Amino acid sequence: MKTIRRAIKPISVFLIISFVWISMPYEYASAAIIGTEIAKDSIEGKQARNYIFSVFAREEVQKVLTAQGIDSQEAKKRINSLTDAEVIRLAKEIKQLPAGSGLGTIVGAALIVFLVLLFTDIMGYTDVFPFVKKHHKK
Amino acid sequence: MKSARLHGLADIGVPNQFEIDDILFFPQKAYQCGPAALSMGLVWSGVQVKPETVAPEVFTPSLKGSLQTALIGATRRHGRIAYPITTIDALIKELAYGHPVIILQNLGLSWIPVWHYSLAIGYDLAESFVILHSGRTARKHLSLVTFERTWARSDYWGLLTLPPSELPVTAKESEYISAVIGLEKTHHWNEALKGYQTALSRWPNSLGAYIGIGNCHYELGQLEAAEAILRDATNLFPNEGVILNNLAQMLLEQNKYNEALESILKAIQLGGPLSHLYQKTLKEILSLKDTQ
Repeated sequence: MKTIRRAIKPISVFLIISFVWISMPYEYASAAIIGTEIAKDSIEGKQARNYIFSVFAREEVQKVLTAQGIDSQEAKKRINSLTDAEVIRLAKEIKQLPAGSGLGTIVGAALIVFLVLLFTDIMGYTDVFPFVKKHHKK
Repeated sequence: MKSARLHGLADIGVPNQFEIDDILFFPQKAYQCGPAALSMGLVWSGVQVKPETVAPEVFTPSLKGSLQTALIGATRRHGRIAYPITTIDALIKELAYGHPVIILQNLGLSWIPVWHYSLAIGYDLAESFVILHSGRTARKHLSLVTFERTWARSDYWGLLTLPPSELPVTAKESEYISAVIGLEKTHHWNEALKGYQTALSRWPNSLGAYIGIGNCHYELGQLEAAEAILRDATNLFPNEGVILNNLAQMLLEQNKYNEALESILKAIQLGGPLSHLYQKTLKEILSLKDTQ
């Protein structure tokens, strides 16, 4: 028992430190260097973006992404590849963003939709059906 | 029939027609136009990927599609600069320079949307068409009029996927620096460093580029290089607190306490919206100095 306890102690100390470290906000964790994004905002006279707000935005977006069937690790990676400005914008827009999918999206559309798009394709307003002959001459 | 936007194209100083040669074409599978367009752009920029390898990074199953921000993020995750293209002029100029552009169109109508990504690779202004690697068609010719209408429905969303040594021809300083900041987010410090250096070659007085170079060196553990670039920057921008703060931090971490103190006191004297961060640096310097 004693040896186990002795072995566990440093591990738990390590874990406690890691948890505290992970939960500390970025500003404190990375010494006192000022990040390029914060610096740029300040130079351009933009109001300093509330750091906490961007953390919430990241959490919010992650919730939406995982709800849409993306693995939580992958969702985190996608969010971490965005700047604070982009994440905050995304959090505001995420419900109405278009997602390009190309072929196959209008399968099941009603005949009327088919006829409308066929007409607009021929007129050059849309480009849905590959079989509509496209002439690019003026 | 042509919009005013298209009429002006003759005057933007590009050859009448141009097509970028040898861009690998990946025909898309159902719903996979995002991965196809992105991987063609990335392969052009020198990253060896396939649609199947980038799909897990961009595809959203429930939407049966890929969000624009996912394409931006994935570009960075492969160490490439994601730079937005939002006008038809800029698109044609980039193509004329040999830069392919990922574009998002709504091929349908606003109330029957058919969102679609493809890669623009060329144009012909005399015959009035663009050339796209699109869907299952390589080098598809699409009339400029139809292209403009379908692209307008995505608010002209376009994206360059550039190696960090290559500047967009239409680059604006602020937008370009933001694009390089994106590479910092994915911890591609070497690529971001290169991107900031590329920015300096075009805008020698870019404060953002100087700060970015310092930060990348710092993240790479190159304290002396970071100190050197920030010292150069203090000569160019003697009244910029951020430079003085970051320089103080570099000096502190090399145990040059007195110089660090001198630098941070100057920053505090200048004040500004980031003063609270300068104060924090000062506290750190003082506490570490005391323990010596």
